Amino acid sequence: MIARDRNWLLIFAVCVVLAVLYPLFADGYRLTVIRDALIFGLFAASLDFFWGRTGILCFGHAAFFGIGGYIMALITLNDAIPFGSLLGIIGAVAGAAFVAAIIGYFLFFGGIRGSYFTIVTLAMGVICQQAAVSWSSVTGGDSGLIGIPPIAFDLGGLHVDLSQDLPSYIFVSAIVAVTVLALWSISRGRWGTVLTAIQDNEVRAAALGHNAPLRLLVTFVLSAAIAGLAGALYVCMAGLVAPDLSGLLLSTEVIVWVAVGGRGTLLGPVLGAIFIQRAQQTISSFNPSLWPLLLGCVFVIIVFVLPDGILSIYARLKSLFKGGRRAQ
Amino acid sequence: MDFLITTLLNALTLISILMLVGLGLAISFGLMNVTNLAHGEFVTVGAFAVYFVQSVGGSFWLGLAAAPIAGAVVGCILEFAIIRHLYSRPVSTVLATWGVSLILQQGLELTFGLGAKPVTPPIEGTLDLVFTVYPAYRLILIGIAMLTLLGVVLLISRTSFGLDIRTVIQNREMAEGVGINTRRTYAIAFTFGAAIAGLAGGLVAPLAIVLPQMGVNYLANAFFVVIVGGVGSIGGLVAGSVFVGGLTSVLNYQISPSLAQAIVLLAAIVAVRLRPNGLFNGASR
Repeated sequence: MIARDRNWLLIFAVCVVLAVLYPLFADGYRLTVIRDALIFGLFAASLDFFWGRTGILCFGHAAFFGIGGYIMALITLNDAIPFGSLLGIIGAVAGAAFVAAIIGYFLFFGGIRGSYFTIVTLAMGVICQQAAVSWSSVTGGDSGLIGIPPIAFDLGGLHVDLSQDLPSYIFVSAIVAVTVLALWSISRGRWGTVLTAIQDNEVRAAALGHNAPLRLLVTFVLSAAIAGLAGALYVCMAGLVAPDLSGLLLSTEVIVWVAVGGRGTLLGPVLGAIFIQRAQQTISSFNPSLWPLLLGCVFVIIVFVLPDGILSIYARLKSLFKGGRRAQ
Repeated sequence: MDFLITTLLNALTLISILMLVGLGLAISFGLMNVTNLAHGEFVTVGAFAVYFVQSVGGSFWLGLAAAPIAGAVVGCILEFAIIRHLYSRPVSTVLATWGVSLILQQGLELTFGLGAKPVTPPIEGTLDLVFTVYPAYRLILIGIAMLTLLGVVLLISRTSFGLDIRTVIQNREMAEGVGINTRRTYAIAFTFGAAIAGLAGGLVAPLAIVLPQMGVNYLANAFFVVIVGGVGSIGGLVAGSVFVGGLTSVLNYQISPSLAQAIVLLAAIVAVRLRPNGLFNGASR
């Protein structure tokens, strides 16, 4: 366990160093590409915090991303509200957490687990997308809302203005790094251990005095809050929000990022998100309708060939060599 | 009066379709515990089968006969290639079947091209009921769906294959012990569910917009039919279909279809919280 912690921190440190050095080699456009990929990486990490720790798959996580995005957009586009950016982020996080708390209460305390949970959350994503399309007086309907200003605020002596590429890259990288580190320290401590116990045998964990539905609910709410944060960051950087930010395809893609990067590693999903988005851009530039086809194939391949994600290749190779040495 | 009857018949149309789609899910999801997210694509494949047969000059009825066959072929391949290897890995099944559904959608789009496909109904015009006039084809649809459901009930309750299915579902190990080939039974039951969903797709094709992506809407609704109704009985299937289908039809008159859809799914979530084992659980066992 301790060696694994050390390895994780080592990989994390390498990633942080790479992120810090990257602006030295990249121009403004490339910075924004990686910045947006990192935001989706944060989104992937938020799903992994729930799915990886509890084993329960949420198939509508984009709903929280979209809710965060829409709240951010509505608050910052309203000139009457002071400190728009700051309040927007707080509102996005709180809004996503609130919706997750209601839905989670209904499901976890109703004894809904496993596949049932997956199906209901799948419907939740559909509901959010439909609501965004049909509530057009507020959400702008199919075309969404445009003209969302970049994040800018003064807090005490701190002056933040993210209209430029480099500051926004640094801001996003810092938030992603801090959040992933925080999620990791929560999930490796006692909280994570109890969640693992619940995943293994909920009845037994409850018999030991753990309030399993409450634990799952709080984990779900935390996960949704971070997805909402990612959504809020994204719409400010992109300048627009649209219904498909809460749609099924994004929910699907975030699952692929987590599954490819390695479920339960928190860092893997961030890397998975960055790699797959690069691949998507390359493939879509040949033929846009090829991407969903490949996405589908990736799902099937992962299930049969790499159930633990790409990071597991390293572990497998290691055990292969170790096994070979022992045999000699 | 005639408004009431029309609403009732509209609801009955939707309920019949949901029952047929939900039946396959009740078998795979409810009884075999396989979360098949590609189930909606069986509906799509059925609808495209009718479109294809019509586009090469065949009649609607020929297309409707091809629809369940197309559904069965796709279902059989899916079971054989993927699902049978994953019976013990539920989360992996979810991922793999969703991948298959994306592949099927995109495959259909690449084969048949973008845009909605026209399917003409076999009978135009309306039928004069005493209190109202109603499109004749919809009445035929309701009739075929009811007959199919009746056939399935008889198949499961009266034939030796139905007995095998019920045995395997109650206790897989015990069924193997008494010499039933459980793998084969599962494969046949799954294929059968896919065929019924294909038939449903063929039936709705003249009424719906035939698109490669049309399956998703049926998927979400059909899952709620099964979850709301409760697993393991035809009564539950009927109750779930009436709940989801009835509510959707009534709401469609008041508000936009997408908002109606959203509200129905929300109501279903609340229903699941209040009656986790289904509205109709156990009552008909």
